[in-house]
Amino acid sequence: MSTNTYDAIVIGSGISGGWAAKELSEKGLKTIMLERGRNIEHIKDYVNATKGPWEFPHRGGRTQKMIEDYPVLKRDYPLNETNLDYWVDEKESPYVEIKRFDWFRGYHVGGRSLMWGRQSYRWHDTDFEANLKDGVGVDWPIRYKDLEKWYSYAEKFAGISGNRDGVPILPDGDFMPPMDLNIVEKDVQKRFKEFYKESRHFIIGRTANITVPHNNRTNCQYRNKCWLGCPFGAYFSTQSATLPAAMATGNLTVRPWSIVTEILYDKDTKKAKGVRIVDAETNKTYDYFAKIVFVNASALNSAWVLMNSATDVWEGGLGSSSGELGHNVMDHHLGVGAGGRIEGFEDKYYFGRRANGIYIPRYRNLNGEKRDYIRGFGYQGGGSRSGWSRDIAEMNIGGAFKDALSEPGGWNFGMGGFGETLPYHDNKITLDKTKKDKWGLPVLAFDVEVKDNEKKMRVDMMNDAVEMLTNAGVKDVKGYTSDGVLGRGIHEMGTARMGRDPKTSVLNEWNQVWDAKNVFVTDGAAMTSAACQNPSLTYMALTARAANYAVDELKKGNI
Amino acid sequence: MNRRIAIRNMALIMGSAALLPACLSGDKGKPIVTLKQLKLDAAQENLVSNLCETILPKTSTPGAKDLGINLFVFKMIDDCFDKKGQDDFLVGLEEFETAVDKKYGKSFNDLTVAERSAFANDIEKQSKVPNNKDKDNKANGFYWAVKGQTVFGYTTSKYFMTEQIVYELVPGRYNAMFPVKKKAAV
Repeated sequence: MSTNTYDAIVIGSGISGGWAAKELSEKGLKTIMLERGRNIEHIKDYVNATKGPWEFPHRGGRTQKMIEDYPVLKRDYPLNETNLDYWVDEKESPYVEIKRFDWFRGYHVGGRSLMWGRQSYRWHDTDFEANLKDGVGVDWPIRYKDLEKWYSYAEKFAGISGNRDGVPILPDGDFMPPMDLNIVEKDVQKRFKEFYKESRHFIIGRTANITVPHNNRTNCQYRNKCWLGCPFGAYFSTQSATLPAAMATGNLTVRPWSIVTEILYDKDTKKAKGVRIVDAETNKTYDYFAKIVFVNASALNSAWVLMNSATDVWEGGLGSSSGELGHNVMDHHLGVGAGGRIEGFEDKYYFGRRANGIYIPRYRNLNGEKRDYIRGFGYQGGGSRSGWSRDIAEMNIGGAFKDALSEPGGWNFGMGGFGETLPYHDNKITLDKTKKDKWGLPVLAFDVEVKDNEKKMRVDMMNDAVEMLTNAGVKDVKGYTSDGVLGRGIHEMGTARMGRDPKTSVLNEWNQVWDAKNVFVTDGAAMTSAACQNPSLTYMALTARAANYAVDELKKGNI
Repeated sequence: MNRRIAIRNMALIMGSAALLPACLSGDKGKPIVTLKQLKLDAAQENLVSNLCETILPKTSTPGAKDLGINLFVFKMIDDCFDKKGQDDFLVGLEEFETAVDKKYGKSFNDLTVAERSAFANDIEKQSKVPNNKDKDNKANGFYWAVKGQTVFGYTTSKYFMTEQIVYELVPGRYNAMFPVKKKAAV
């Protein structure tokens, strides 16, 4: 029994789980991090990271076998042969779609911190106040000032490169030197600025790729192969950043192959006493005990863990007394934007593959503007010069054609929107006990969709993109849109939201489960609204803040 | 290009298991590559290889066959095309053969290099004629499938990426404005 007792348990090892493990172990707590999947060792297990493109049998493409094996992943870009091992085995871990939801998961140490997009933006008070002002969902129990120093703390450790642009809606952070805009992006930016002045902004992306050496990590080498795992540790991941820091304390134990099936709830103390796991390899059950539990299993699986916990007290699980557990599923809706050609600059190129692009922060429904929808969206994109992939149909055959393939093609500029999704009570996940995964555990059923507000927003998202690129001198601009299926943003949020009232929220202002104060949920599940910025930096800040509070409370004997 | 490089490239392209050299002596109808889905006889295989070479011929630099691009094309169609794509490919191949026979009275494999180029160029020209109802026929579909994969295979080959363009696995820097003359950087 005693060997299974720790001060703290962290469920999950992705971005927020890694942060929880680091913070708790650095503060002296004997901590165990439980990860449902296999271990991936930094550098050693990035098996494809140093291969040339020609070393992949299908040059990165997808085979019919892959398409068959990954019915969800195939729906979008993640299915490819270069990092297939980082995505969940869908046959082992199915889910039910009452409505289509594209759930892209990574079940291994590091979780999706290995494959994430790395764009890192602070929120603004506009985002924290939005629900209150709009009368949507519930009010965030915190404001920007509560998170500001934790944003700094997270940025300084993770290493975020970016420019201090002074955009009012997008607070500047503690950045490493920014990456450069390329020659075409600079040109587009110049025209953009001439047209929009200070009303809209066009900036270099803020990304968790370090541009100067940091904590024994090598600065970005401009390979743009981040999602294979970085042998230089140049982007923030559990493996490159939080895990080594946590291991250095001597206080952290990592246990892969540990599927947490429930949080063990003690009715008398009204607290969790530990967790139960099933070993994914042996199917054996083990209990682990601790004073505090951090739930960082990713938004939807964190809700799953809670739903399966304390069901003898609350039928719907721990945190369900609010009626909100598993509800308010959010993501960013995308698949809408525009692109076109850039004329000129034929004698210019760039060298190196920059794993970053440009960002246009939100500008809609600010400063008194009222569209026929609420909230807003941002854009990510960039300018690039195509090589061989230029329209080959326009060319012929033979030796001259072969030679022409090594000439640079034309310049293009494209960008896609990331739109805020509102928290709708009826966008929900539930347990489907009729369908089981490989381990006999019930799976999640999704009943989630974009609604009117998102659909109206998407009209602007395409039209604005076309208009802005046209105004910025891009030629032959074409817009595109899609049905905006949720999940594809891979920014799942909201299933155990923070709030001010236990009747309408699962977590309080410190990410504590109202019904079990020593249980903290600090991943996307905690989000009360979605904003339109990429959310991971906010998870990092929330996690560091909650861990600091948890340890304080523990010392005071309050939990 | 020396033969050792060609063979090395071919080995890289072929990967491990899918393509195995079969007995090269005797039976003319026996294919030299073993595919899992696609059933091609030796003549058809040759036709595809010759078409690859027509699209990217050997000049002062290696051609499609030197680089094993034809084998890459087989692999892609075998592994990555769905059933319908493969069926269309086979029907298109047959129609392509028929069209060649109709025009020249012999098989594509027996055409001179100049005739092969002329035939392929005809298809290229057809595709540029607006509202040409023939441009989407299956023979043309077969041609574009081979061309697409040939170009893809060539431009992602080690030879191309290391000797035709400047590709560094670890650039180590981002130069946001880089003058270019001929060779491209990616």
